[in-house]
Amino acid sequence: MMNPLDLTGKTILVTGASSGIGRETARLISQLGAHVVLVGRNEERLAETLRSLDGEGHSAEPFDLSTTDEIPRWLKRISASSGPLHGLVHSAGMHKLRPLRVLNSQTAEDIMRINVVAAISLAKGFLQKGVCASSGSVVFLSSVAGLTGQAGVAAYAASKGAIVALTKALAVELAGEHIRVNCVAPGVVTTEMGEGLLGMLTPEQFAALEAMHLLGFGCARDVSYAIAFLLAETARWITGTVLVVDGGYMAH
Amino acid sequence: MEKNEFLLLLDELLELEPGTVKGSESLDSFAGWNSLGIISFMALVDEHFSVSLQPKQIAGCATIDDLVELLGDQISEDSAGTASGSVDGR
Repeated sequence: MMNPLDLTGKTILVTGASSGIGRETARLISQLGAHVVLVGRNEERLAETLRSLDGEGHSAEPFDLSTTDEIPRWLKRISASSGPLHGLVHSAGMHKLRPLRVLNSQTAEDIMRINVVAAISLAKGFLQKGVCASSGSVVFLSSVAGLTGQAGVAAYAASKGAIVALTKALAVELAGEHIRVNCVAPGVVTTEMGEGLLGMLTPEQFAALEAMHLLGFGCARDVSYAIAFLLAETARWITGTVLVVDGGYMAH
Repeated sequence: MEKNEFLLLLDELLELEPGTVKGSESLDSFAGWNSLGIISFMALVDEHFSVSLQPKQIAGCATIDDLVELLGDQISEDSAGTASGSVDGR
């Protein structure tokens, strides 16, 4: 039986693979046949993800993405052992609920560094000779917060809006290199990060937010399906797009 | 952190002149103590003390002093010498 999402023989690097959407994406694409390079800060948790993958030929590469200048060189080293990469998913991210009055520039810069500057450096590294295979697919994580207003998340929203702009700019710049660049924009997903934020809401606020998600809150698997779609042949004619995966949040 | 320092942070959070908040005031008496103000308070506590408070803990507080009590040893009485939390929380 033909599977249009088949990723057999493809090597794909996933950041943020030690938890949440990154971990679930790594699991799903391993089930679709990909060799996965797992990236995260926590070695132990990466090893946990590694054990949960299907198939063989995966590896774990602990790395702190906040050292953004190191990323291209580091990617070169990784691809020397993993072989050229066919895909890159930047799922590592930082989210802090910080109403403007308590938002300081250090927190804003930390959020921008991991969510945006690391994404730029990863794309730069991916583009290098020998790192990317003859064609490639890059998937960034935006958010509905980057597309519509939400109170208390200005820095995070700015970073996720920047991802949309970055996606479009790089799609144009890298089309000639046979690299497609897209992003997904999830609504609230009950990952560890999502639950940490939901924990700061009163029952009333929680209920109101949940009601905005017409299909309820999502789970990591819901988002990973969209990421796999953008990585696979199914999206061969898609670049520079934002795929909203939000249970209907943006339909209002 | 000394209590006085903490109260100054609350002044800032509630958009009041420095030195306004004393401790015994009812939280409901501050216009800034609304849903966003409460989230801001949780963010402030996370930022300065790396403590994650739950909304229901805060719902159980009636006065500023109740908030101070939530943080227990993190807040020391003024002029006690050593503050237990660093000023910038890092």
